[in-house]
Amino acid sequence: MNEKDLFIYFLSQFDLPVNKIENILEKMGQDYSFSHFCRLNFKEISVDVYKKMVERADERLVKAYIENLEALNIKLVCKLDEKFPKKLRGISEAPFFLFYKGDLSLIDRHCLAIVGSRMPSNYGRRVTEKFTSFLAKNGLVIVSGLAYGIDSIAHRQTLNEGGKTIAVLGSGFNNIYPPEHRDLANQIAEKGLILTEYCPSTKATRYTFPTRNRIIAGFSDGVLITEASIKSGTIYTRDYALDYGKDVFAIPGNIDSEKSALPNEIISSGQGMCVTDPKQILNALNIESSKQNTNNFSSIQLSFEENQICSLLASGAKNIEFLEKNTNLSINILNSCLTILEIRGIISRMPGGEYYLK
Amino acid sequence: MLAKVVSFGLKGVDGYKIDIETDVSNGLPHFEIVGLADTAIKESKERVRSAIRNSAFEYPVKRITVNLAPADMKKEGAIYDLGIAVAILSCNEENKIKNEKDFSFLGELSFDGSVKKIKGLLPILISARDMGYKKFIIPKENCNEARFIEGIEVYGVESLIETVQFLKGEKQIKLVEICKFKDIISQEQFPLDFSHVKGQKMAKRALEIAAAGGHNLLMIGPPGSGKSMLAKCFPSILPNLTFEEALEVTKIHSIAGELDLKQGIVCNRPFRSPHHTASTVSLTGGGTNSKPGEISLAHNGVLFLDEFPEYSRHTIETLRQPLEDGVITVARSNATITYPANFTLIASMNPCPCGNYGSKDKECKCTPSQITKYLAKLSGPIMDRIDIHIEVENVTYEQLKSDKEEESSAQIKKRVDLAREIQLKRFANDKNFSNAKMSAVQTKKYCVLDESGEALLKSAFDKLKLSARAHDRLLRVARTIADLDGEENILARHIAEAISYRTLDRKYF
Repeated sequence: MNEKDLFIYFLSQFDLPVNKIENILEKMGQDYSFSHFCRLNFKEISVDVYKKMVERADERLVKAYIENLEALNIKLVCKLDEKFPKKLRGISEAPFFLFYKGDLSLIDRHCLAIVGSRMPSNYGRRVTEKFTSFLAKNGLVIVSGLAYGIDSIAHRQTLNEGGKTIAVLGSGFNNIYPPEHRDLANQIAEKGLILTEYCPSTKATRYTFPTRNRIIAGFSDGVLITEASIKSGTIYTRDYALDYGKDVFAIPGNIDSEKSALPNEIISSGQGMCVTDPKQILNALNIESSKQNTNNFSSIQLSFEENQICSLLASGAKNIEFLEKNTNLSINILNSCLTILEIRGIISRMPGGEYYLK
Repeated sequence: MLAKVVSFGLKGVDGYKIDIETDVSNGLPHFEIVGLADTAIKESKERVRSAIRNSAFEYPVKRITVNLAPADMKKEGAIYDLGIAVAILSCNEENKIKNEKDFSFLGELSFDGSVKKIKGLLPILISARDMGYKKFIIPKENCNEARFIEGIEVYGVESLIETVQFLKGEKQIKLVEICKFKDIISQEQFPLDFSHVKGQKMAKRALEIAAAGGHNLLMIGPPGSGKSMLAKCFPSILPNLTFEEALEVTKIHSIAGELDLKQGIVCNRPFRSPHHTASTVSLTGGGTNSKPGEISLAHNGVLFLDEFPEYSRHTIETLRQPLEDGVITVARSNATITYPANFTLIASMNPCPCGNYGSKDKECKCTPSQITKYLAKLSGPIMDRIDIHIEVENVTYEQLKSDKEEESSAQIKKRVDLAREIQLKRFANDKNFSNAKMSAVQTKKYCVLDESGEALLKSAFDKLKLSARAHDRLLRVARTIADLDGEENILARHIAEAISYRTLDRKYF
């Protein structure tokens, strides 16, 4: 490892803005030694931060930091590297550093961001699951922010379908937020990619999430908003996507539902495309549908009872009381049929006990 | 003059013999009770003196010392009043009481000399009979409680005078007649019946399974969905109490003073629903005057905990031992007491603090972390002991108004009884009586799956992301479902149904 690399690692610890990093590098000239750094005077950096930097400007400390990153299996890539994703280079305010775990090359594939409310309704859950599994099956890399609600549904559903998913964090790796999703983060690191511009010790704040949304919008080919309220942080993702000239897709919802307010607004104002079928997204992104649509249950072998249930569910989500009333099946048979259909992946169950066809 | 009569005290749910030794000697007038008596007994002096005087007997103006032996046991309550009064009176030869040694005396005295009802009579009589005591004089009000115990002679008295007259042979008192448990059990009536509950087919089926296999059950649903109503109907489909079970229940209720003295025995399975502000001690029992708690009062019946996560964490965790062993051991500085506590736990809760999570028509306002915190109150070890969890939905107006005949409790109970019979045969040589209490070894032995069942279970774990701890629970519930179905082996459809009762194992919560 040469002096320059060491110095780059050193700089990555402070979450400095891109322009300041570039300034520093410029001033350093060709001499990247720490002694040189300490002799220079940086007006653009605040006194406190500079003091902290000088304290840490020690080869041994930086090496320990690098070892620590290696132990945690965290890799670092910076804008100067060739490996740095091309898609991110182009955007304004591109991050200078990216910390990541997993397969960085996923970014170069067709990526679609699926984002939305942290507290989705059953409708939001259902359509997110439906769109995610179709698009993941068709080879799209699903990008999201590891948050509660729509984000985690998109990640989980992709993993379930064996697809690839990318999580962009709004905090450092040591402070994954929300902490309940640490398991999910590990799974994504293993099977996909998880990345952040923040150094591992950075904690999530209310400011880090909107800025991370620019990375999501930055390397995705399109952004799908399934459900979000008008005050949601999803607004930032939409705005960045529009700035960067990416496609915005929105799934319409009831006009009186608070949680469909943002997608409905996007549709009515013409900012994005109204999608009612996941195929429309593939068409808009010029991706060919790779597999047959498996939604048609008539091609699957079903028993008489199962067929009865599926035909009732074809008209929308139903609860068990409705099914019991309209099929004349006893509740025990109905329960076991529903479980078997669910295991076979034909139907799905939502909190509250409603079932719907996938 | 010295006189000695026999009485009984209570330790836990067992009685022990107490000798009331009374010495009346010349000296300055004084009345002293020794032998670790509590305040109620110390005050007994005043009651006894007034009762004797007001019954027109002569109260000896002498030095009276009463000893309650064994002297090292702490004694509580007012049940020794009658014994002490009789002992004092028999010291006076003028009263001509001779055969007081043949009887055991139990009863509290009132100032006017009448004998008042006492708590815990039934367990005392049972223990006394087992120790070989035959004749008892008890308060008349308690007679019904004594009428189920065979092999003893019990006389109910109303006053101190009547007692003395009876002992002198001046008055005859009729023996308490033995009553057969079978004769009264047929009269049992439940205030609530499943035919009153409209809709809720899923919940009813789950409760039927819980009743048949003795499984604990958790209902999750929005406020007003009828969770409490369903739980209150639950005792009506439980198998009848056997006489032995009824005696066990009655013992506890008698000690707690909650027994209906008209009936004298508990013949319906108890249903207890302590409020969620209940203290831990009120649930477990214990305290300085060791009393059985709510979970013991629910012995052989149902403990219903409404709004389960609202109970304090500590209170919920104390349920672990009773749910596992069927007893609760309360250790206090002066005694360690074990009360039976073999109950079916029916718990209910909202899906989230606001109650609308997953609801169709109302929006849930809770943040994800609030929901996580709410559910985290139910620790793994407690959830491990609850076999069935189901979601209960709001009933629609159409369902409420529908004229469709709903199945009555009696019909459901018939199926439950059949399933219980199968289990009694299965566990004839084992210690447990129900599928829910099967050990790991028994689960392996009795819950054999065929190939298709095994394959289904495996794919269920893969696809539905069930947690590993669900495995044995699922098998036990499937066993009960197969029993209800009258099937010797567990079939795939039984497993599939059992899986549908594992809501909380799903990852969407």
